[in-house]
Amino acid sequence: MRKIRPWPLTLTLYSLLFFCFIYLPLVVVIVFSFNSNVLDMASWESFTFDWYLGLFGLREVAPSQGTSAIYVESTDQLLNALKNSLIVATFTTIISTTIGTATAIAMARHRFRLRGTYQGVMMLPMMMPDIVLGIGLLIFFITLGFKLSLLTIIIGHCTFLSSYVFIVVQARMAGLDPALEEASADLGANEWVTFRKVLLPQLMPGVVGGAMLAFIISMDDLVITYFIAGTDSTTLPMFIFSMIRRGVKPEINAIATLLILASLIIAGAGLYLRSRRVE
Amino acid sequence: MRRQRLFLLGLLSPVTLYLGVFFFGPLAIIAVFSVLEPGLYGGVEWNFYHWNYGRIFGWADGVVEWYEPVYLKILFRSMLMAAFTVIACLILVYPVTFWVSRLPQRAQLFFMFLITLPFFTSLIIRLYAWLVILKPSGLINDVLLGIGLIETPLDMLFTRFAVVLGMVYVMIPFMFLPVYSSVERLDRTLIEASGDLGARGWQTFLKVILPQTLPGIAGGSVLVFIPSVGNFIIPDVLGGAKGLMIGNLVEQQFLDARNWPFGAALSMVIMAVVLTVMLIYATKIVRAGQRIGEV
Amino acid sequence: MQPILQIRDARRTYATPEGGTVNALDGVNLDVGANEFVTLLGPSGCGKTTLLRAIAGFEELDGGAIHLEGADMRGIPAFRRPVNTVFQSYALFSHMSVARNVAYSLEVAGVGKSERMQRAGEMLDLVGLSGMGARKPSQLSGGQRQRVALARSLIARPRILLLDEPLSALDRQLRQQMQVELKNLQDEVGVSFVFVTHDQEEALTMSDRIVVMKAGQIEQIGSPREIYRRPATRFVADFIGETNMVAVALTGDGKATTDGGLVLAVPSDSGTGRATAILRPSDLSLTAADCAPNGAIPGTIRQEIYLGSELHFLIDVGGSIWRVTARDDGRDYHTGMRVALTYDPANVHLMPEAV
Repeated sequence: MRKIRPWPLTLTLYSLLFFCFIYLPLVVVIVFSFNSNVLDMASWESFTFDWYLGLFGLREVAPSQGTSAIYVESTDQLLNALKNSLIVATFTTIISTTIGTATAIAMARHRFRLRGTYQGVMMLPMMMPDIVLGIGLLIFFITLGFKLSLLTIIIGHCTFLSSYVFIVVQARMAGLDPALEEASADLGANEWVTFRKVLLPQLMPGVVGGAMLAFIISMDDLVITYFIAGTDSTTLPMFIFSMIRRGVKPEINAIATLLILASLIIAGAGLYLRSRRVE
Repeated sequence: MRRQRLFLLGLLSPVTLYLGVFFFGPLAIIAVFSVLEPGLYGGVEWNFYHWNYGRIFGWADGVVEWYEPVYLKILFRSMLMAAFTVIACLILVYPVTFWVSRLPQRAQLFFMFLITLPFFTSLIIRLYAWLVILKPSGLINDVLLGIGLIETPLDMLFTRFAVVLGMVYVMIPFMFLPVYSSVERLDRTLIEASGDLGARGWQTFLKVILPQTLPGIAGGSVLVFIPSVGNFIIPDVLGGAKGLMIGNLVEQQFLDARNWPFGAALSMVIMAVVLTVMLIYATKIVRAGQRIGEV
Repeated sequence: MQPILQIRDARRTYATPEGGTVNALDGVNLDVGANEFVTLLGPSGCGKTTLLRAIAGFEELDGGAIHLEGADMRGIPAFRRPVNTVFQSYALFSHMSVARNVAYSLEVAGVGKSERMQRAGEMLDLVGLSGMGARKPSQLSGGQRQRVALARSLIARPRILLLDEPLSALDRQLRQQMQVELKNLQDEVGVSFVFVTHDQEEALTMSDRIVVMKAGQIEQIGSPREIYRRPATRFVADFIGETNMVAVALTGDGKATTDGGLVLAVPSDSGTGRATAILRPSDLSLTAADCAPNGAIPGTIRQEIYLGSELHFLIDVGGSIWRVTARDDGRDYHTGMRVALTYDPANVHLMPEAV
């Protein structure tokens, strides 16, 4: 076999730089979350855990060095926002995974006249700009007299996350041997038993993947939530957004670091599970 | 067969009902609101009113509503910024996809993972990180001042540059994955054949590599352009007044000006741009890609 | 005795993407008896798989009927039919152990766990996979997966086992071994097998009867010997083994004349008129031209193909090419040599010329 000429060294260097570029912002946030400089959190002073302790109300951040600000306004607010986000993401995940999976199964195993239409329609919510969907839902809820709350956020998230789940499950479904379901029927299982004992377990990697994607996006969504959240239903991204809008404060670094670590753990676990399934 | 129909009905009715009510409902209501008269103190009057569009496109009466070219200007600027984002993403990502595609299998998976991982961390935090890096007392200025390259801090934050940079950073995975998948499928023997037949490097690139990876480039471009053009969070955090995009205008109509019908009309314009791009992609580029695939 | 499976005038039409239609089944009639090994043989697209899937209940017929043990199968879903299938891809459930795969039909039928596992163990013993029950299908070789698929579809004691090209994924050696094992297994379990293949060797080796199909219709049904010796049509003769076919005029006295003027000896009861004479390459013998007996066919060796135990020759007989298979007896043949072909007139098969 002929040997392929290796890439020039510059390409390797460039590519490695590219990956540094991708991770630079995350690293900056993590490093500066340990910066004790109260006045200018972008200039390094010395190492401290204070922002983390302050975040959980364990240490009143001293209004030292001439400032009188107490930066963490309320740990309760933060935890409440986190709780809201978790509630929304959990229900959104359950509903959108059910809808998306059912649709993917229908599309893969049945031939019907509107199949092409459905395929196209499932792409629309993903491609629709968030802001359009957000204000659409806002007018819709207000006009119909819905009270904006966690429920409206869940409804809003499910409209586009069902499509994400659909795409992921459909990809898994495409790789599945249709003979598996025929074999199950052949061996005496009716449609429901086949679904429970064969189709669902075989689809599981796709369903879990789609559900994880839905959960993460729902936890992170800001634009749609921003328009349809009620006054008492602030989510975590909204909380951080409002903190940033009111000026950069050092605790944000600590919150951000914790969130980055949480995402890394979830995504890493997902990848680990997937690699195990491959074996 | 009747059993089959029943199952199909059961599987499809959730999505039909859900999207029918909560997706097409809101879209329809935007369309309706965009031709209603704004109420005096927020809210709407249920009268047909075409001057919302008139304010944008130039047939307002000049008494109650005024035509302001600034809306069209901001629309075109948004499209331009989204286009810049697409091009910058592509230039950044394209060489890297080739590099990754020739790594051993496990390393390929690892770098794909590295690309997608930031996507799973909070968007708002990634933007915030750029705020920290770009601001006058931020990392870049610190470094540049430190090595004496500049004497006064650069004004990078709250510029259009910052907005495009933020969008590029956020959209990288959407460009990388489609381009990578077409680069990975690239038939290396074709490249070698082209070289064998006497083509120079750049000829091979233009005549063999680029056409073969075009479907991935087109797909990635659409995936980057569409969320960029209607974005309002990124310009809000990094753009300030100078980096205003059409999405910010919509937001203002809803949360500050409380002119919902006008905001709805502006969103209809965004939707029209997005649907046009999707239509072009579906009819022109996908077909061209299929032609290339057939050769 | 009443056949187990009766197929009457089965019809199935598909729409093609181009807007036309294709008759996958075009009036098929077939009976399968108890303990019979029937093979559906034909090129791809001949309708054999459609027929198998219609019996299993995965496809519905547009016309005609399928009766299993006298019961009309119309509208009966696959899971209520007393037939089981071995799929080309095996379709093993990768998320279940081998034993659970084998016991699946019992599990679905609500049989208790201990009985299930015991019977799965017995089935695994039967197919030579004792003690492999705890493994996952992905840990087995291709041949072993094949056996698991067999055990799984036999455990519920179906009336008929349908096999859809089950050996096509195996390598040649394993395939030949499995052919013998399948036949033995069928004798042992006493279930009728309907076996789909496009491989004529497979069909000849295992079947009690072969059904040769073409374009949705049955060309011929018969024992392997009948199919090979007495093909009913040109298509069958061509599809099963190598053949020399030549158009002749029968003179009624045990002689036939080819269009080239060559006179062939044929069975004496063959009548008169136009016909196609068929001679298998293995029924022809080569002799040197100078010591040829009366009535031998003269020719010239065009090409010689050495296959170890056998030699294949392409012989030029008056302008047309005849194939001859001979054992390698050490005699020296070479290209361009003048030879004579001898044969037993009883081995000449005649078909009406029209087909």
